[in-house]
Amino acid sequence: MEMTPEVMLQVKDINVFYDKLGVLWDISLDVKKGEIVAIVGSNGAGKSTLLKTISGAIHPKEGSIVFGNQDITKMDPYKIVGLGISQVPEGRHLFPDMTVFENLHIGSYNRDARPHAEENLAKVYKLFPILEERKKQLAKTLSGGQQQMVAIGRGLMANPKLMIIDEMSLGLSPLIVSELFYVLHEIKTQGITILLVEQNVCQTLDEADRAYVLETGHIVMSGNADELMDEEEVKNAYFGE
Amino acid sequence: MMEILNDLISPIVLGTLLGGLYVVVALGLSLVFGVLKVINVAHGTLVILGSYVAYAVASVWGIDPILWLLLGIPLFFFLGILIEKYLLARAVSKSADAALIIAFGIALIIQNAAQIIWSPQSRSLLTDYSFNSFQIGDIYIPLVYILSFFAALIVMLVVRQFLKKTYMGQAITAASQNKDTAELMGINSKQVYQIAFGIAMAMAAIAGVFYGLTFPFNPVSGNALLIIAFGVVILGGLGSMAGTFIGGIIFGLSQTLGGYFFGPTGQLLVPFLMVLVVLTIRPQGLFGR
Repeated sequence: MEMTPEVMLQVKDINVFYDKLGVLWDISLDVKKGEIVAIVGSNGAGKSTLLKTISGAIHPKEGSIVFGNQDITKMDPYKIVGLGISQVPEGRHLFPDMTVFENLHIGSYNRDARPHAEENLAKVYKLFPILEERKKQLAKTLSGGQQQMVAIGRGLMANPKLMIIDEMSLGLSPLIVSELFYVLHEIKTQGITILLVEQNVCQTLDEADRAYVLETGHIVMSGNADELMDEEEVKNAYFGE
Repeated sequence: MMEILNDLISPIVLGTLLGGLYVVVALGLSLVFGVLKVINVAHGTLVILGSYVAYAVASVWGIDPILWLLLGIPLFFFLGILIEKYLLARAVSKSADAALIIAFGIALIIQNAAQIIWSPQSRSLLTDYSFNSFQIGDIYIPLVYILSFFAALIVMLVVRQFLKKTYMGQAITAASQNKDTAELMGINSKQVYQIAFGIAMAMAAIAGVFYGLTFPFNPVSGNALLIIAFGVVILGGLGSMAGTFIGGIIFGLSQTLGGYFFGPTGQLLVPFLMVLVVLTIRPQGLFGR
């Protein structure tokens, strides 16, 4: 009998409101250990809200979010990071007037990550050698692609079990995006689970194991990424065929 | 000609040393603004509170004001944490304006309490060494000016190392640049706010002692000090420690040189004219970003 992989993150029937305005309805999803899972959908579908809810910046009105065996539904963001969920935010959001090294190093702020700071830094420099060359440069002086590398590296410094990456490909050239996806597979082989949130549906489905399609606050489809890509509805909605 | 140059040495040396004191006052204001985004209008008065507490300790127990700092620094640090946690925090989360009003209230309460306890009369921190001075060539430099300058250097070095080399220091720096992202790094921004305010209060304790050793003070002296700290921060540029240092020195220098050339009325006129000029040419300050 095949072992079912361990469920790492389980979002169950959450409803999320901004004041009285409902943004997410009945969202359920799970991420299993060792997977690359994608949440795709167009702008305004509620992807960012879903991420903010998982990371604890906002809390759902109903439903629950469980990570490992801990309920994180109402937890503060900084505590959630300590449990092993790190996030690479949309638009990179580096600390502009800190150096590359300082940006990476602050990623290891949580108590569990601190003892591993040095080994994780070595891993990051191995994945992105350019960052070691530029470690003394201020983050704001880097190119967009390099900034995204710092943002991913910073996420790795948190010593995560699950890394959430929001709109990684936004504003970057296809060549750099391919490079970054290559690195994500590297990261996956190191045993880190990845949750991708993307508007770039085509390439993301290509790279992910499973995916959820989010539309106006509902999950309208889910399944294996390659199967989803063949779905007529996905084709029509996102590839204009 | 030589005579004027000779005469100038004294205001230049004194102005530079005085600038060090201003740097310590301004650093606290700058740190709180950088992290909490609140203009702490109570900062000058908190510095004077530092003077009064040292005065009380000296008059009751006869403890030397500088020695008192060994206890005064941690005491003010914790007082700062309490003020942030119980008075400012909720206002800060609402709006910077709300926090500004609270800070204004804190200043008023301290000023009036000081008036009740110590009367509106001026006080000074008098010690055995208050009237000692060094003679270099023809000029006399009061010892307290030199002490406060060295204190300023030590404060700057310690704060700089703390901000650069420790996790908490880096968290403060990160939160001042982007609070929401800092939280994604596992940084507890509430805690960071408290510690930043605590550090600003500890610096106020230090500045208060050296201000009290250098000048007489009364319950409302903090208002003038706040305006000076503003001037220093504007000159140097917000968020830059090197800028605050240079800003403090320029402010001190232009004060003593203004006094030398235009008499006592020019003392503060000249530095604030400098502030205006810098604001016109470089609104972000000399080292601002």
